[in-house]
Amino acid sequence: MTRQIRMHVPDGFLDPWVAGLFWLGSGVAIGIAVRRARDELGDERTPLLGVVAAGIFAAQMLNWPIPGGTSAHFVGGAFAGMLLGPSLGVLAMTAVVTIQALVFGDGGIIALGGNLFAMAVVDVLVGYALFRALRGVHETGAVFVAGWGAITAAALVVGVGVGLSSAFSYELSVTVPIMVVGHALLGLVEGAITAAVYGYVANARPDLVLGRVDDSLSPEVRL
Amino acid sequence: MTSLVSDSWERRALLGLFVLVVLAPAFGWASGVVGYAEPLDNAAAETGASDAADPINPGLLPDYSVPGLSPSLGTFVSAIVGTTLTLAVAVGGGRLLER
Repeated sequence: MTRQIRMHVPDGFLDPWVAGLFWLGSGVAIGIAVRRARDELGDERTPLLGVVAAGIFAAQMLNWPIPGGTSAHFVGGAFAGMLLGPSLGVLAMTAVVTIQALVFGDGGIIALGGNLFAMAVVDVLVGYALFRALRGVHETGAVFVAGWGAITAAALVVGVGVGLSSAFSYELSVTVPIMVVGHALLGLVEGAITAAVYGYVANARPDLVLGRVDDSLSPEVRL
Repeated sequence: MTSLVSDSWERRALLGLFVLVVLAPAFGWASGVVGYAEPLDNAAAETGASDAADPINPGLLPDYSVPGLSPSLGTFVSAIVGTTLTLAVAVGGGRLLER
């Protein structure tokens, strides 16, 4: 049996006001990213943006089976943030998540704002912030923690969003622990893959790792 | 392997993308075998929300499948289409934003 299943929040899960707030948050963050990206793109960076986005799309299709009835797949927002920097990272993930929703029905249309906020904003910016904060201690460890922590933070956001919605009977106390604990465990795989791929790229072409070359890029301050 | 791709990181990256695309059907099959479920599915089941999912847009290639094709082939085609489209949209969007 082959089964490729939906990975993102579908329509019908979020109350309209929750979906609206997510659209607002992701719209503001993506707008800022677009404005700042104008100064960053060009030369090798535009093709790099494309390759990272395409690689994350392809990697998200690989569901790592874990015996016992679950499976983990790479999300990649933190990786995008560290490799591309926060602005281009947000744009790369925006392309991935939007195409998944529009072409493959993976994630809803009304819920797209929520999926963008979790994966293209929180996952990218939290991952980048953790990486910047910890890389002075140990670079590979910082990458691992960034991949793990960012996906857990993104899961918290989704857990709160659905937990505030009527479809989930406003059961925040159920949705948040399931999302956070589940993704904190699956996030160990995310962190390991992030560290492995980051390590490869940083070794082969350190000049392509934009997240560590420009100290002026600090999304958590600007946002 | 490095001799194959010389000094062009773009070529090496495209090769990497192709490897990921080829792997997609195998992973899709394996996740079906273990009974794939994500925490969001579990949270929905726990709170009775599972039936609330109400897709507005099924997509041209719903659930990464191609109507009429076997699941593995559908996953493969979806991986090629999605990866190529993402590359094109991101590079095209990036070019538009330059300067």
